[in-house]
Amino acid sequence: MFDRRLLTHFDWFFLLLILFVSTIGILNLYSATFSWKTYGQPVYIKQIFWLCMGIGLALSLCVFDYRKLRRLGWPLYFFTLGLLGWVLLFGKTSMGATRWIDLGFFNLQPSEVMKVALILALACYFNERSYPLGCSLRNLLIPFLLLLIPFGLVIKQPDLGTGLLILFIGSTILLFVRIRFKTLLFLSACGALAPIFGWFFLKDYQKARIYSFIDPERDPLGAGYHIIQSKIAVGSGGFWGKGFMHGTQSQLSFLPERHTDFAFSVFAEEWGFAGCVALLLIYLLIVGWGLFIAYRASDRFGKLLAVGVVCMFFWHVVVNLGMVIGLLPVVGVPLPLFSYGGTSMITTMIGVGLLLNVSMRRFMF
Amino acid sequence: MGKWVGFRIKLVGALFVVFFAVIVARAFYLQIFEQKKLHARAKQQHQRIIPLNPQRGTIFDAHGEELALSINVDSVYAHPQEVQNVSGAAKALAKALALSPAKVRKKLESGKPFLWLKRQVTPRESERVRALDIAGVGFIQEPRRFYPNSEIGAHMLGFTGVDPKGLEGLELKYDSELLGSGGHLIYERDARGRVLGTGKHTVQGGVNGNSLYLTVDKNLQYIAEKELAAGVKEAEAKAGSIVIIEPHSGKVLAMATHPVFNPNNIRKFRPLQWRNRVVCDTVEPGSTIKVFLMAAAFEEKVVRKKQFINCENGSFSVGGRVIHDSHPYGPIRIEEVLKVSSNIAAAKIGKKLNRERLYSYLSAFGFGSRTGVDLPGEVAGSLRPPSSWYELDLASISFGQGLTATPLQVAMATAAIANGGELMEPILVEKVESPDGRLLHHNEPKVVRRVISKEVADYVRALMTLTTERGGTGTLGVVPGFLVAGKTGTAQKVDPVTGGYSADRRVASFVGIVPAEAPRLVVLVVIDEPQTSPYGGVVAAPVFSRVASQTLAYLRVDPNIEKKQDPFPAVNPEAVAFDAAEPLGEGTVVGDKKKRMPKLFGLSCRQVLQQMEESGLNIKIKGHGVVVEQSPKPGLPISFKRAAWVRLAPAG
Repeated sequence: MFDRRLLTHFDWFFLLLILFVSTIGILNLYSATFSWKTYGQPVYIKQIFWLCMGIGLALSLCVFDYRKLRRLGWPLYFFTLGLLGWVLLFGKTSMGATRWIDLGFFNLQPSEVMKVALILALACYFNERSYPLGCSLRNLLIPFLLLLIPFGLVIKQPDLGTGLLILFIGSTILLFVRIRFKTLLFLSACGALAPIFGWFFLKDYQKARIYSFIDPERDPLGAGYHIIQSKIAVGSGGFWGKGFMHGTQSQLSFLPERHTDFAFSVFAEEWGFAGCVALLLIYLLIVGWGLFIAYRASDRFGKLLAVGVVCMFFWHVVVNLGMVIGLLPVVGVPLPLFSYGGTSMITTMIGVGLLLNVSMRRFMF
Repeated sequence: MGKWVGFRIKLVGALFVVFFAVIVARAFYLQIFEQKKLHARAKQQHQRIIPLNPQRGTIFDAHGEELALSINVDSVYAHPQEVQNVSGAAKALAKALALSPAKVRKKLESGKPFLWLKRQVTPRESERVRALDIAGVGFIQEPRRFYPNSEIGAHMLGFTGVDPKGLEGLELKYDSELLGSGGHLIYERDARGRVLGTGKHTVQGGVNGNSLYLTVDKNLQYIAEKELAAGVKEAEAKAGSIVIIEPHSGKVLAMATHPVFNPNNIRKFRPLQWRNRVVCDTVEPGSTIKVFLMAAAFEEKVVRKKQFINCENGSFSVGGRVIHDSHPYGPIRIEEVLKVSSNIAAAKIGKKLNRERLYSYLSAFGFGSRTGVDLPGEVAGSLRPPSSWYELDLASISFGQGLTATPLQVAMATAAIANGGELMEPILVEKVESPDGRLLHHNEPKVVRRVISKEVADYVRALMTLTTERGGTGTLGVVPGFLVAGKTGTAQKVDPVTGGYSADRRVASFVGIVPAEAPRLVVLVVIDEPQTSPYGGVVAAPVFSRVASQTLAYLRVDPNIEKKQDPFPAVNPEAVAFDAAEPLGEGTVVGDKKKRMPKLFGLSCRQVLQQMEESGLNIKIKGHGVVVEQSPKPGLPISFKRAAWVRLAPAG
């Protein structure tokens, strides 16, 4: 059943890149949480555990041919949609948001699963259709529904960050579909106007984040605190950084959420601009390699799947970094492979597994 | 399809690169352009800076002995938020540091991020606190001023506060030089104000202060203080002061005040005890002023050598008042005025000089204006302008009453007599050096003005030598082996209650120049309110003698009297032994052996003095009148072991 040739085509380089960044991430977590007096396992040990879990998951996703997912796409999508509905009704509320389903040993966050499910669903949808003359608005109705329903459900939780990511991921996949020029213009205009309408649907805390993004100093100890502290940490790192374990802002707890969303701030403070550029290049290499996998994938579904996964990865990186260095409002988006968190690690590794799967089966038709 | 997707992939890839570039640009902006600003903000957030005491420079004596130095001692601080069991810790700390437990507890409960529990603790206190090992309590080394010689030179050195600013004396005067810039204790705190780890405390910055090198010699200072204390005690006096000046340079070699205090433990003493009487106290100089009166009179040629002055048998009416001499004399030679210290003669000379000239000479000698010594709180004394002098004022100022002066002024004026007529500025600080040993400032001897000619100065000095000779007022001021030019002083003090002169409160003083032939030292001894005797010749002269002889021995000045003649055996047998032990310089032996006693019978005192001057002999003169007896007999060689003397008796 398992073709031995697949092993020779296995994308070791991609896996090594992932492991390399994960290792840096774990070292960074070690530094970020060093001053914590924690009970039980230190955060970085837990992260190592999640990494192993994730690698295992990714490798096991390589066992079967990704093309079999064509049949799994729709059921998974609707199942996840169901979970999102379930969450809104019966989900576990934590910190003012209802995002989780308590599975006892693990809090499942359906919105994370939705990212993957949406990629699969869109890949399935466009795989079965071709538009020689380009997509019209009507052709795009169903894809938009596929996109907007989960978006709306996630926003309702409320989880603006994940919601927007779902929107970004979906929209980027649409870019791979031939769309009519006029339609594209119209959609662009809608995209530009959407934030203005969106404003009225935002929660107060979300609005505060936007305000504080525009002018962090208006409430430096409240809504602006994260942005200010993150900027201070990143900026004070300078060109060469303060050295591993020597970041004052992170070591002295000025930096909030430094093991999760703001893990990159710790890295930037301790390794400076030089470290930032190096890390960004590696991330870019991962994204680029992912696109390369998509490029040489043997079929349309594979291409769409790979592109979708790369988009997910890319938007996570860009939104997180944009937030950390004060280019985007603070939305809770983790940095893949870097931020601590099981869900993020699992989602990322599912994506990695899918990419490895597509990559190793590039010669199979 | 494939081509299309391929193009799109490249397009999206390019888009991705653009996004990453934007992020890199932003990182560049933050980490390169904004780095300084944000770094400063970071520091401000996590660093707390506690100013530390600056290190003061060392004060050295003339030979580089430390008189005042900064040593590092522990100061105990606390981060109250870190202290766990506050009440227990407060109790233990209070006990270890000898503080009130309530106060320590209040401090620890204050919730401040940092505070000093006790600064500059003793090693034992520090050890006890270390033994307690309380989390949140730490130590930092801070300099503390230490005066290794305790009382020695205390008035001159002054002292510092805890902070440590100079509060008195040289410490105050040279505060800006001595005071370095303080370093900072920098500790890091986290977002909640907690202090993390003890290793994060660092001391940064701080520059040591400059060092002073004084002209004062610790050993001479010790001699002066020891003898002053003995003299004050012996005379049952209230206070006293001694100043030793090197006349040619104006350098202060010692400056002593009694009673003393210990600058290491300043709180135990009252401000009165801190006062440096040498520069801060004014007293009426009394008869010592006659030296300057005589100098002025000779300079102005209002008196002639050998001239007789009638001392009116001890009482003389001036301006409606009768002034007295302590011993009545008839007509005396002008040369004897200083020796017998006649007030009446002084009054008469003062009158001849007139008030303007007396005033201008006294001013020129430095009376009525500050000497400019490197000490804070120096006073100028009072010398009223001559226009306000009545006839009695002129007379009384002539013998040293009705004006006030600091001991230093008297000493510096005397130094002008000693160095050939130039008033010098007193030098106390020889040089200032930076911590790395660079010379920043050097005080060169500075002539304030020439007051009198060298001839007059030398002559007056010769006359002053008579004071310590038989019949003089200051015979107890004789220094074995040396010729002393001295002057006693006894002034009545102004009674603060009545405003008039006090009947029993006196200031006794003795100022001497030694060796008189080639002055090396001017020593002034002032004894304030002596009880045993009011006279400078009785209570101050012996102190002078002891200080001068020890100082000269310390400075290895060879006794020179035996080279010319014997010292007076009656005065000090010690001196004889001293002289005998001293090997004679070659050459002097041959030359001196030829010296023979001239025939002096029938000569007056003045003539004997003249003979002495011409022959270089030192002959002791006893009594007054004309010579009726002499030893050795005329023509006999003068031996070193026995004094040459003449006895005078009133002629006819």
